[in-house]
Amino acid sequence: MISQLFILSSKGDNLIYKDSSVRGEAGSDVINVFYEKVTALPGDQPPVVMNHGDLHFVHVRQGGLYWVATTTADSSPFSIIEFLNRLASLVKDYCGDLTEKAVQMNFALIYELLDEVVDYGYVQSMSSDVLKNFIQTEAVSPRPFSLFQLSNVGLFGAETQQSKVAPSSAASRPIQSSREQGGKSEIFVDVIERMSVVIGSNGVLMKADVEGEIKVKCYMPNCSEMRIGLNEEFSIGKSQLRGYGAAVRVDEVSFHQAVKLDEFDSSRILRLSPSQGEQTVMQYQLSDVLPSAPPFRLFPTIERDSGGKLLMYLKLRCDLPPKSAAINLCASIPVPKGSVSMSLELSSPDQSAELKLQSRSIEWTIPRFPGGTQLSALFKVEVPGLSPSSLMEVGPMVLNFELPKLTVSGLQVRFLRLSPVQPGPAQRWVRYVTHSDSYILRI
Amino acid sequence: MQEWANQLCENRQFGSKMTDSKYFTTTKKGEIFELKAELNSDKKEKKKEAVKKVIASMTVGKDVSALFPDVVNCMQTDNLELKKLVYLYLMNYAKSQPDMAIMAVNTFVKDCEDLNPLIRALAVRTMGCIRVDKITEYLCEPLRKCLKDEDPYVRKTAAVCVAKLHDINAQLVEDQGFLDTLKDLISDSNPMVVANAVAALSEIAESHPNSNLLDLNPQTINKLLTALNECTEWGQIFILDCLANYSPRDDRESQSICERVTPRLSHANSAVVLSAVKVLMKFMEMLPKDLDYYGTLLKKLAPPLVTLLSAEPELQYVALRNINLIVQRRPEILKHEMKVFFVKYNDPIYVKLEKLDIMIRLASQANIAQVLAELKEYATEVDVDFVRKAVRAIGRCAIKVEQSAERCVSTLLDLIQTKVNYVVQEAIVVIKDIFRKYPNKYESVIATLCEHLESLDEPEARAAMIWIVGEYAERIDNADELLESFLEGFHDESTQVQLQLLTAIVKLFLKKPTETQELVQQVLSLATQDSDNPDLRDRGYIYWRLLSTDPVAAKEVVLAEKPLISEETDLIEPTLLEELICHIGTLASVYHKPPSAFVEGSRGVQHKRLTSSAGSGESVESPDTGSAAVSEAPPTVIPSQGDLLGDLLNLDLTPPTSTGPPPTTAPGMQLGAMDLLGGGLDSLIGDESEPPPIPLRTDTPQSPQPPHQSPSPPHYSPTELGGDIGGSPAMGTGFGAPPAAMPASFNAPISGGLDDLFDLGGGGGLTMGTYIPPKSVWLPAMKAKGLEISGTFVRRSGVIQMEMTLNNKAMSVMSDFAIQFNRNSFGLAPAGPLQILTPISPNQSIEAALPLSTVGPVMKMEPLNNLQVAVKNNIDVFYFSCQYPISMLFLEDGKMERQVFLATWKDIPNENESQFQIKDCHLNSDAASNKLQGSNIFTIAKRTVEGQDMLYQSMKLTNGIWVLAELRVQAGNPNYTISLKCRAPEVSQCVFQNYETVLKN
Repeated sequence: MISQLFILSSKGDNLIYKDSSVRGEAGSDVINVFYEKVTALPGDQPPVVMNHGDLHFVHVRQGGLYWVATTTADSSPFSIIEFLNRLASLVKDYCGDLTEKAVQMNFALIYELLDEVVDYGYVQSMSSDVLKNFIQTEAVSPRPFSLFQLSNVGLFGAETQQSKVAPSSAASRPIQSSREQGGKSEIFVDVIERMSVVIGSNGVLMKADVEGEIKVKCYMPNCSEMRIGLNEEFSIGKSQLRGYGAAVRVDEVSFHQAVKLDEFDSSRILRLSPSQGEQTVMQYQLSDVLPSAPPFRLFPTIERDSGGKLLMYLKLRCDLPPKSAAINLCASIPVPKGSVSMSLELSSPDQSAELKLQSRSIEWTIPRFPGGTQLSALFKVEVPGLSPSSLMEVGPMVLNFELPKLTVSGLQVRFLRLSPVQPGPAQRWVRYVTHSDSYILRI
Repeated sequence: MQEWANQLCENRQFGSKMTDSKYFTTTKKGEIFELKAELNSDKKEKKKEAVKKVIASMTVGKDVSALFPDVVNCMQTDNLELKKLVYLYLMNYAKSQPDMAIMAVNTFVKDCEDLNPLIRALAVRTMGCIRVDKITEYLCEPLRKCLKDEDPYVRKTAAVCVAKLHDINAQLVEDQGFLDTLKDLISDSNPMVVANAVAALSEIAESHPNSNLLDLNPQTINKLLTALNECTEWGQIFILDCLANYSPRDDRESQSICERVTPRLSHANSAVVLSAVKVLMKFMEMLPKDLDYYGTLLKKLAPPLVTLLSAEPELQYVALRNINLIVQRRPEILKHEMKVFFVKYNDPIYVKLEKLDIMIRLASQANIAQVLAELKEYATEVDVDFVRKAVRAIGRCAIKVEQSAERCVSTLLDLIQTKVNYVVQEAIVVIKDIFRKYPNKYESVIATLCEHLESLDEPEARAAMIWIVGEYAERIDNADELLESFLEGFHDESTQVQLQLLTAIVKLFLKKPTETQELVQQVLSLATQDSDNPDLRDRGYIYWRLLSTDPVAAKEVVLAEKPLISEETDLIEPTLLEELICHIGTLASVYHKPPSAFVEGSRGVQHKRLTSSAGSGESVESPDTGSAAVSEAPPTVIPSQGDLLGDLLNLDLTPPTSTGPPPTTAPGMQLGAMDLLGGGLDSLIGDESEPPPIPLRTDTPQSPQPPHQSPSPPHYSPTELGGDIGGSPAMGTGFGAPPAAMPASFNAPISGGLDDLFDLGGGGGLTMGTYIPPKSVWLPAMKAKGLEISGTFVRRSGVIQMEMTLNNKAMSVMSDFAIQFNRNSFGLAPAGPLQILTPISPNQSIEAALPLSTVGPVMKMEPLNNLQVAVKNNIDVFYFSCQYPISMLFLEDGKMERQVFLATWKDIPNENESQFQIKDCHLNSDAASNKLQGSNIFTIAKRTVEGQDMLYQSMKLTNGIWVLAELRVQAGNPNYTISLKCRAPEVSQCVFQNYETVLKN
């Protein structure tokens, strides 16, 4: 049960305030109370649930804004957090963007949404399909007309290579605009995976988890059904026997409730009638076993040289398939306390490395790291009074990277069919990406 | 519109918060005026923009209530968008403008019949949100129609509206029969309607814990389970939460419900998953463990819990707090999932700490190697807080899994080698715990520990190290040097370290008496003479006396075998855990506190308990007695509907259901440590030649003095005292003055006379004297080294007094009296110090009266009127407990209005009624009434039915609790019957006892 709802800017300004249930006797000064509390919170305190007297605040941060709900009863923080996250994405769907300005300009729309979405503190329906029947207000898009959008039209209006790739901003626009403003009817399917890996100092894979989701963002008002075909050899659960070849296996799957699964068991097809806007159609995870080798291996040599310096010779190997590459790779290696300065040798010129004294670590950045290659670096760190036990303080190395056009689980979208067959140039985009969630190489 | 919105944005972006508010407060009347004009414009678009502007101003906190009539005028429009905006405005301001809101009623009523279901729903939704009493009566008819509307959207909105209306006017909702309609909606064809009906009913039922509103029987459960499959995710949450309150009749029903709930576990919405987990965890208790299905269910619970950990950190944290509970209750669910709790480097610290805790709870022999390897990695991370916890966790592993202890110790030693200051300190603290769990096993590491003595700067680590040195002093060659080094800065240490150092040196002395005599003397004098800390001084004196009287006994006490520390630390207490399991997925499970601890006005809060398969299948839900005893129950006044007597006839006089167990008497205070020293101390005090004479707890921080030379008390001459008393003309009322200023104790020679004076003054204003129980001996002389205390309690003109006779039966003079109460049921506490002005010489007795207040700390006692008292004098501290008559707490204004009495009697549920018999009482009803009035039990009405007199009486306790009584007296029958009704039924027993004593004396 939600008593009050408000959206605050990062500076604490009140953008939207609704006493959603009329039960809240406390006035809108709760906003200030909340803002003071959240900004004064020490780092190790969980900010998730805070209380002020008998008023409990639950909040999330999305788009730089605070989305806050209060409750006085012993209600479920899960539903509230889930609700706030949903609300944020709903607002994003409707306003096209999730910024302070977008919220401010569309306050009437957001109030109207809130009215439909919560009644007396009870969450009603948050599906944009249901809501579209009720919402009257038009979204105001904060994005001014920009020449930038013309950039994908080639010289003299010719189609260029560029126009075959949707601009990354293509997916952020209000869902309603497609119905009146004659926007392009498009559908975006994203397969996003996050991997967390721990590799021990002996090179043994200690832990490997993959969390993935398929997101659909739909701007197709008259699309009644879509079918997403996944790999045919897709199995769920640990016990199932694996065939040969490129079978894809996951441990757990959960689906959006709009997904019909009658064709899933036989031919791995998800059927759904997509709502306008963004929804997560399927979530899955895989633990302990990766279908292929982990993407990065580290071969470190760490010693004390005769001059009392710390010598770190690091070889990093990328085990991705040769055609793939990791981008924006950033490795961070903690160094002993008291490190002063560093000299380095890197195996290629586009890499860079830096000793960050504040975080006591070396940041090694590699913009692009193709599969099947190996990079190395030699760091000489000046540590006054280096003792053998300080060598223990080195490591573990943490990697942050992105693997475009690749899913580590191997999940692929075989096809994407829309029915009825869309008239005109319906655009269908499929995107794959894997992020590192927590990739740790122990030394 | 876009233009001004942009402008608004810009203003906000450029200005800080200060300038924002300035911008808005300086807006001129002109703007309101302009808006007014626009609102009355003919053009729809302009109107709409104007209303939007009004709402924008409203959001930023500006008062636009002046525009109320103009906005309401815009209400009658066929433009839905505009209508919605106007309704939004109305909701906000109707409360402050109730008269204006009435203006809108007609439109509401009209809109409720609109052809468009959206408008019907909008109207009924908004009307419910307007909390104006006057509007509710207009709401009933439209609401009734909407509850039966053909459109489900309208029906589901109307269902919620019943809950809204109930909150404003519960009686109206009941009278209008809306509750029955709501119950019918549970069988509605549309799942959304069912969900909202369940939510509304659950909420209403919560405010009437005893009503049978949400009558959960197999039929309704079946309906709910069916709706569960079709409902939206949010509706599923309401239904699952409602299911969790049901108690299945047997294990087969449990199983079938579980089977139907299990598919929810794979839902994408974590709130649905958690609600399903709650239902399953609860119903699982009923399943026999050897059932195959039980095992299947256990297996099914793990994956969804693991899945929750892939969510955002906020949800992860909340999920981990819940998993922490589940793991404590059923560790088998997640025993194979240890790895998912390994921390990621980018987890927020609060998630890391929570994961660490769960890792320890799951640690077992099977996975300990894996866990230790992980923990060792964590211990070398950068984040200080996390590293500390990780080191502690290694220690907890050692204590929990015996086989791993050795590896843990060696891991800790490795960590100590890193010489990172805080790692070393934490390691030493946990090694101390390991020593306490496995004594005499890992002493080999002590040498390594001693090397790091210098680097310890935190009190906890220093104290731990000192403890280790003291405990193993015989194996550490230079133990005396080590401890001596700590002694140098003794006064700069924290108390924890000082205490530990004192104990350690005494241990050392007992182990190696020859070379450490000087050291022990040094520490004893530091502790007893140079310290202001009473704990330290007391401990110092105890050791000193022990050592000087009986070194053998000292050895037995100080070097006694210590109990091993328990395996699992910081487990949640089982009953609390059971309750929390019933609240999985709610705030209670995040705070790890029962809801009654943080939900205000716990009127409807019930303690939930798990029902186990062994039980009868009845749900064990008891009303929250703890809070009921403290909370005041304000009587609600309902309009009289006729003659009081006639109504009383209709009172439900069913016999009481329970009278509660008879109180167990005299739970004496434990004397604890004092007993330890009993005999030895006595002999010491008797024999003054014994060196060192130590008076316990004298308030002089000086060097010890022989007991009889105690500092002289603040002295008043008897004449001065007498003059004060005599000169006060109105003795009885005089007690109303601040009690602290009163001379509350008297010297023996004048005490008798003054007592008389008091009685006259106090009793004068009353029709009948208050019954004062005779003094009884509270503290016998043999228990208190010659001090005998007898006493009683008196209430005079609103002041409660404890009257005591202190009798010195010992051979020496007693002085320096002070008194303290333990926390008690009604917060009784001395209102001033116990004033005994002259020392009591042997065989002298002295009267003392101590005024009491009822604002002290409260703790429920058993029996309720038990009071534990500590009295101190120059010899020792003595403890006794006594019981006060509850009538001491009856207020003079405890006479209830007749109507209020009637309403309250009806309002208190019948379960709270208790009936008692008073035997052998030969008073007639009038005499009884008079007698009772003296004790502030007021007769409100009397009625005679068939020769039986019925007295209706009320009394009010100091903490605001009202007790209502019906006393039945039959002429010629010496047995009275008394029925007591009270919102805090635990007081009934005490009140009855009080009746009995008052009537029989």
